[in-house]
This record gives sequence, structure tokens and C-alpha cells, in this order.
Amino acid sequence: MIDFGYGLTPSSTLKIENVANPAFEELRQREPDVAKCIACGSCTASCSAGVFTEMSLRRVILSLQRGREKETLPMLQHCMLCGKCLLVCPRGINTRHLILSIGKVYKMEEDR
Amino acid sequence: MRERILAAYDPFVLPFVFGMTFVLAYCLIALVKVLLQLNAADRRKFALSLITPTTIVKNIRDIFCDCLLHVKLWKRNPVLGYMHSSIAFGWFMIIVIGHIETILYIPERLHRLYYPIFYRYFMEEQNTTLQGSFFFFLMDFFLLIILSGITIAIIKRFRSRIVGMRRTTKLTLTDRIGLYSLWAIFPLRWIAEGFTAGVAGGSFMTVPINWILHNFMSKPENITVAWWLYSIALGTFMTVLPFTRYMHIPSEILLVPMRNAGLPVRHTRKGFALTMLYSCPSCGVCIDACPMGVQKKNVKDATVYMVRNLKRRNQKRSLEIAEKCLMCGKCAALCQVQMDACGLRLAYRTAQEKKTNQIPADFSYLAAVEPIAPAVEPVALDDEKVLYYAGCMSSLTPVISRSVQKVLQSAGVRYELMDKDGSICCGRPLMLAGRQEEAQQLIAQNRKLIEASGARILLVSCAICYRIFKEHYALSGVQVWHYTEYFSRLIREGKLQLRNSHQTLVYHDPCDLGRGCGIYDAPRAALRTVGQLVPALKERKESICCGGSVGSLTLRYEDREPITRNAIDNLTANNPEAIVTACPLCLKTFGRFAPVPVFDFAQVLADNLE
Amino acid sequence: MSQNVVVIGGGPAGIEASRRLRDLGYTPILIEKTPVLGGHLARWDRLFPEGIEARTVLDPMVADLDGIKYFTETEVSSINRLKDTWVVKLSNGLSAQVRAILLTTGFDLFKAEKKEEYGYGIYERVITNADLEDWFKSGAAPQFDAVNVIGFVHCVGSRDEKAGNRQCSKVCCVTAVKQACEIKEKFPDATVYCFYMDLRMFGRKYEDLYLKAQKDYGIRFVRGRVSEVSEDNDGHLFVKAEDTLFGKPLKIKMDLLVLMAGMAPAADNHQLARMVNIQTGEDGFYLPQSIIGSPCTSSREGIFFAGAATGPKTLPETLSEAASAALAIDRYLKTPQKK
Repeated sequence: MIDFGYGLTPSSTLKIENVANPAFEELRQREPDVAKCIACGSCTASCSAGVFTEMSLRRVILSLQRGREKETLPMLQHCMLCGKCLLVCPRGINTRHLILSIGKVYKMEEDR
Repeated sequence: MRERILAAYDPFVLPFVFGMTFVLAYCLIALVKVLLQLNAADRRKFALSLITPTTIVKNIRDIFCDCLLHVKLWKRNPVLGYMHSSIAFGWFMIIVIGHIETILYIPERLHRLYYPIFYRYFMEEQNTTLQGSFFFFLMDFFLLIILSGITIAIIKRFRSRIVGMRRTTKLTLTDRIGLYSLWAIFPLRWIAEGFTAGVAGGSFMTVPINWILHNFMSKPENITVAWWLYSIALGTFMTVLPFTRYMHIPSEILLVPMRNAGLPVRHTRKGFALTMLYSCPSCGVCIDACPMGVQKKNVKDATVYMVRNLKRRNQKRSLEIAEKCLMCGKCAALCQVQMDACGLRLAYRTAQEKKTNQIPADFSYLAAVEPIAPAVEPVALDDEKVLYYAGCMSSLTPVISRSVQKVLQSAGVRYELMDKDGSICCGRPLMLAGRQEEAQQLIAQNRKLIEASGARILLVSCAICYRIFKEHYALSGVQVWHYTEYFSRLIREGKLQLRNSHQTLVYHDPCDLGRGCGIYDAPRAALRTVGQLVPALKERKESICCGGSVGSLTLRYEDREPITRNAIDNLTANNPEAIVTACPLCLKTFGRFAPVPVFDFAQVLADNLE
Repeated sequence: MSQNVVVIGGGPAGIEASRRLRDLGYTPILIEKTPVLGGHLARWDRLFPEGIEARTVLDPMVADLDGIKYFTETEVSSINRLKDTWVVKLSNGLSAQVRAILLTTGFDLFKAEKKEEYGYGIYERVITNADLEDWFKSGAAPQFDAVNVIGFVHCVGSRDEKAGNRQCSKVCCVTAVKQACEIKEKFPDATVYCFYMDLRMFGRKYEDLYLKAQKDYGIRFVRGRVSEVSEDNDGHLFVKAEDTLFGKPLKIKMDLLVLMAGMAPAADNHQLARMVNIQTGEDGFYLPQSIIGSPCTSSREGIFFAGAATGPKTLPETLSEAASAALAIDRYLKTPQKK
């Protein structure tokens, strides 16, 4: 066979159509507010930890919804639970409880 | 006086003896259990406190005032106060007098547990003496007091509103048995003593009974029946006591010295916590106290239910209640046994977080936070310099830091801002979420920054931060001041020139500042110089949480609104022109729904600077 | 004598409906609580999408009030039902007995100081959309030393549970784009940012305006809601938001910040609703019988709505609703009275 020089590499497309996301469903049971996010970024902009780190709650929520939690879970390690995001969220999401709940549903990988 | 029944025994005493032995044994075992559950340090602390003279005096005074006289309850509700102290103190006196009589007239019988209790049955009076009549009178007097208390108790059971309680707890089955046997004890005693009053003597209560029912009472077989019933009522009460809310009676005697020893709540149902759980009398004062009670669905989240569920090991409900609480501390402030309601919940949250959190915190980045002043070592301590920490929340309420700075400038105070470019959170929100160790990391970092600044005064405008700075920071060489106190001081020292706008203001006591740190007068004193203070319906210790508290982990935004509205109604009862508070969170929360302007404490001062 | 109809609220909806009712042969009694007719429109300088002057719409309307009895600085004291009529008592002592009342009470501009984190009323350089229109209209610009960076904050008091307004105010997105272009004309060298959550360019020519703003005016659009504003010693602002598309938080130094205050239900709605015993929705706006089929009729006989009293609306929507309301009232009044 002729070698066209292409190999099999994992696709970089986000697979959201057929991926079951039971962890996210469990999170939704614990804190239904997670579904209310409109990704306005207020939480990230006001974040006390965000001044010093990459912490972005908006990105965490989105990555959980997409089943790509590995990328953002480490951010939550920096959260001081100060509650500023709770105050600025226009949707009234109980962000502190959401963060605490994420810690109960998702597990950080040990080696990180 | 001489012995009437020479055997000094009658089978009717058996129910009492059984009940009494049982309850004593039960309490002894429980005591040993509690002491064993304390960790070594706490146990040593407790033992030490028991031999410290000042604590001994305090213990005796507290046991007398709290457990017998119910002084706190008197202050809050005289009818309920009378009801409780009449029964507790009256009963106590009857037991004491019974013993005194036994000691005086027949000391050799004192070792018999039942003798002082059934003294009237075993003794008879040959001739009327002044001393005898005196004791007869005292016994009847206290019996009357108790009976009056029992009467109020019975009325209260059926019409709790009469004694000023809106909501109270529902009794469990054992509670009912305990309650009815308690009600029965004293009327039965009255009748039993009435029977013997003919021979054994009596006074204004017992003699008339004997006289009225003379024919019926002179039959000897009826006499023992009455004493049997009295003993059975006593025995029943004692036997069920450990399984009822009345367990609070013996528990409190242990709780008082443990509390005075300053023991912390380390567990939800072990050691000090266990004593506390059993000291809850289930009175339900916490139900009316709880700000969440404005919504019927939250009524069962009051502390009394927390205690019940913890006792029954209902983990699911205990967790729900522990996480929902606003931690405003009002129930604890009003609690008759000073239940550390927040401490219990915090212990629960802490245990839960330890067990279930799978994302360990990493605050290593905090080490890179720039110190406030250039780190020239060693930093010279500056007595005059103020370091102002506005706190995370205050960046969302710019009016506070602006006003604080305006006031400081007007008073000529040299100050520096600690958190102009972002701050490390004070740690209290983490603590409230049950992450104690993580909070300690923030505390350590902040402490470093504060101590490196060289300032001697740390000025805080957030009630939440202030409380943790006071309770957990242990800053060396730095005084922590809440701005209400600091500005009052500036006013007293004549450093602030203010004019009185004569605007009517109502002051809201933020939970962490008032109940948390006991600051009630400083803000009021300062506000009186710039306006006219009007009272809220409930204030100071009884102030109602704004509903915005970060203490609650699970309370949803929409369920906080009714709490806020209720708190606003409480504040605006006397039609003030503005509400003043001294916490950024209260300011933001009230601002959403208040019909009148909501000002920060510093803002009111800044607006009225000459 | 022709039949009276009471119209409460002298904004564009009230004026337009009154004119239509007059044309249909009725005598409208138009009540306005402020000293001038025209509502918010009277304060506005130019209108989106094409930037025509607001007065070119309002002036002809106000000049054409023959046959309409109107009272400014007048409020409704009470409304009572008497058989099949309504007795309306006014604060000027007059009263009217009518079969139909039209509520054109409009909206209140959201009080931007309620969003404390934006510092309106605290920072000098933070103004609202309405302040900016005042400025454009009067030509009296506030005196700031240099205006090089300007920001527009969308959704101030709209789509915000905390502000008590969950609804989208509909007009602010396009107003912000319009105002951004206008201010760019005044300060051609300035950098102008629009901070938005979603850009809702739903109307005809709105998208064109957006395109023009990007292409011709170089307005920079940042998808992210401003979370807080602070101030330096010179009074310059620091605006914090997240650039959500890029995924990084921003902190921009600005010389002027314009808050797009949204539409909140009129404060009097509850009181009027109680007088005539109708419902307001959870959002505080009046509830029509059907927001699709009969947006102008209420649940009570003889009570009608038009304009932003039933929710945020654009000016053309308001005007056409005023016309429909007039027709609905006409049909109601021509239906034989039930005995």
C-alpha cells in the first residue's frame, strides 16, 4: 500500500454527542444550580484566587459539562471559598456549595 | 418527732428505689463515658478547671442560677422562668429540707436512699413544736410553689401561646411518659402527705386536705395506696428520665463545669458534644429564634432538631441541618443551656469535609503574595500606623473602603491599605465550610503579611473577617480593631468633627460583630453623634440575620429572600429614614430589598464630616 | 358627547394610544405624573438603529393633542368599580367615570447605584446610558481631563437575579452599540469597549449597526460581564471582567464607564394593579391575557395595556401596541353592554 504519510492520531474534536456524563448528572443532583450558568465570567473576574492563579469557575463548570474535568479540577485547589462569586453571579448560583459539591463528586488524580 | 414505722421500710418505696438507682447508675456510666471520650489535653484542662478556685465559684454560681433558678429564662420570659424555677428550685428545696429533717431528728436513717423522700410516712408528730411547724410550713410552702409551676406547665402544654411561645417541639412517646409522671408526682405527694397529716403532722396545704377528706382518709388501707402511687410516679419518672428530654437536668450539672473549663466542640456526639446533646431540654426556644423559620419548610432545621437527629444518629438529616444553618448564632445566644449550636454544626461539617472532599487544597501560591510594605528587615513597629484590611467582600461595596479612608484622612490617621490589589481571604469562609486546616494556611500567610507591615493597629471593616482575626489570628504586637470601635474611639478623642444630620437611623447588628464579638454599643454611640437612632423590634443579641451569610452552605438564593425581607421588616418597624449596618455582606443583602436606603457605618460618618 | 377613556401614563404608548382613540371618536383623558409628556423618550437624544433624533418622533406626536384632555403632574388617587364602569379620581381633584382604562405606565430605568460594585454615584467617571443621552442632548459634557479608554457595561440590572430583574431589557445591547459609535465620534482617538454577556441584535438593521460598530468605528467587543470597578487616586477606573472567549480575566484602566441600565417594572405598578384588582407577574410587569394573542387585554373587564408596562419593548413595538390597544378598546366599547 502506498504510504500517504498520515498516521492515526486521536481526534482533537470535542465529543459531546454520545458521551454519557454520569458524574455531571450526580453533581446536578447535589447542586442543581450548576445547570443555570450562562458563562458570563463574573465569577472568574471577581475571584480572589484568580488574582494569583488560573482559577476560573466558569471554565470549571463548562469543562464538567463537557466531560473534560481533568483540565480544570486542579484550579479548584486554589479556591479560598471567600464567596465573592456567590455575590456577583447574576443567576444566583450557590457557587460555594457548587465548589464543595464538585469535590465530593469528582476526584483529583493522585499524580497531579 | 419520732419514728412511726419502726421497720423504717415499706414495700411501696421499691418503685422509687429502683428508679433512683437506675438513673444514678445510668448517669455515672454516662459520666465515665464522656470523660473517656475527651482527648487527653481536654481532660487535663477540665480536671484543672475543677480545682481552680475562680472556676469553682463560677461553676457553683452557674449551676445554681442556670439549673435551679433559671435566671436567664426569667429575664427572657418571666412566666416560663417562674414555671421552671418553681419546679426545679421547689423540688430541690423539698429534697434538701427532707434531708435536714432526717439529719435533725433521725440521723441514723440517712443512709436509706428513700427515707428523706418519704419522711412524712415514716415519722409521726407527738407534740406541736415551733421547729416542727417551721419545717411543716416550709415543706408545704415549696409544695405549693411546685404545684403552681406544674399548673402553668399543664396550661402551656395545651396553649403555648399564652406563655409567649409561637412554636414549640412535639413530644416523643418517652417524653410524654416522663411529662405525665412528672405532672403526677406532686399532686400525688400532696394527697399522700394529706393522708398522713393527721398523725405525722402537716401545714396549710396538707392539713386542710386531711380535714376535708377526713372520713375517707382515716382508713389505713387507703394511706398506703396513696404512698404507693406517689412512689410509682417518682419511680416511673426516674426510670424513663435517661430516655427523655428531662435528661437535661442531670446533664446540665456536667455541662456547666465543662463549658466553664472552655472545652471546644471536637466531635458531633462525643465528649463535650455528648454532654451538650443530652443537656438540650427540647424547649424549642431555638425554633422561634431561627431566622430561617420564616419559611415553614425550614422550621425543622432549628437546633433542637439537629440535636434530636444527632442523638438518633440520623446522618442524612443531621448533615442537611448542619449545612443549611446560617451560623448567625441567635439560637445559641438565646439557648437556656448555651448550646454551642454553631460549634456542633461546624464539627459536623469538618468531619464531613475530611471524609468526602476529594480535591485537596493547594495554597502554595499564597507565598508569592507581595508584602504590604517593602520588606526592610527588621520592620520597625509603628505605634501610629494603621493597616486597613477591607476584605474580599468589600471590593464589591466600594463605598465602604472609600468612606473608611475619608474618615481616616479627616482624623489625620496614617494608614496603609492591605488589600488594594487583591487580598488573601481571612479564612473564615473556609472554616465555616468545614475546612479548618486549609483555613489555617490562609491565617498563617495573612499573619505574616500583617506582622511584616510594621503597623500596630489592624483596622477591619468586615464583621466576618473581624471575628476570625480576633478568635484565630493571635497576632503579636498588633491590635485588631473593628472600624465601629476605632471610629468611636476617634470621636471620643475629639479627632473627628461630625455634625448631626438628625436623620432617623436604625442600626443592624451584624451576626459576627454582635453575637460573635459582643460589639453592640460602639456603633450605636458613634451613630448617635450623626443622627437619631431608632430601635428595631429585635436588636442586639436578638438581631435577625440579614440572610446573606456565608455560614449557610446549601440555602438557595431564592430561599434567602424571605429571611432578608423579614429582617428588613424587623428593622423598619419604627420607620427609620435609613438602615445602617457594619458588614459588607449585610449591606449588599439588605440593599436588594430594603424600602429605605441602606448605609454602611463608615458612610454615615463620612457623609457627616464637618 | 363622545365617550371618555382614561389613559394612565403619558409616554409614547399613552400619547399614541390617545391619538388613535381620538381618531376613533373617543375623548381620551391622558394622565402623566411628571411635568412633561413623552416619558423616557423626552430625555433621549438619538434612536437606534439609524440614529434619528428622538424629537423627530416625539415632537409631532406632542403637537397633535387636539381633542385629548391631558393632565401633567397628576396622579391617580383611586379607582373604583361602579356597575360596569370605573370611577377614576385624580390628584388634581377631578374624577372621571369611564368604561375603559388603558395602562401605559411604561418602565423605570434601573437604578444603577443598586449595583454597588460598579460604583455609580460613588465614582465620578461612572455614568449611565441615560446620563450619556443627557450629555449628548444638552451638549454639556462632563469635564474629564483625558478620555482615552471608554467602556460600556451591558446588562446592568437586566438578566440579574440579584438586582431583582431576571428579564432581558431588550434594547440595551443595541443602545450600547449606538452610544459606543456616538462616543467614538466625539472622541475619535479613544478605545471603546463593550462588555456583553450575549449580544441580542434582533431587530431590523440592528445587525448592520453592530457590523458598522466593528468595521467603521473599531469598537472592541469583549464577551464577559464586568464584575467590579475600583478607582485609583486620580479618579481613573479599574474595570474587572473575564474575557470569556479568550478565557482570561482582564483588568483595564478606564477613563469613562457607561452602565447600560435596563428596564425595571414601574414602581407604581403594584399600587395600580391593586386599585383595579389585576395581577402583576413575578417580574413585576403587568400580565396580559395572552402575551401572544391578546397582549393588550387584562384579566379584568375594561382594563387594557400598551407598551413597556407589560415588559421591555422597543419604541416601534410600543407604538404599534398602542394602536392595537386603541382598537381593542374600541371593540370593547362597541360591544353591547350586558345587562
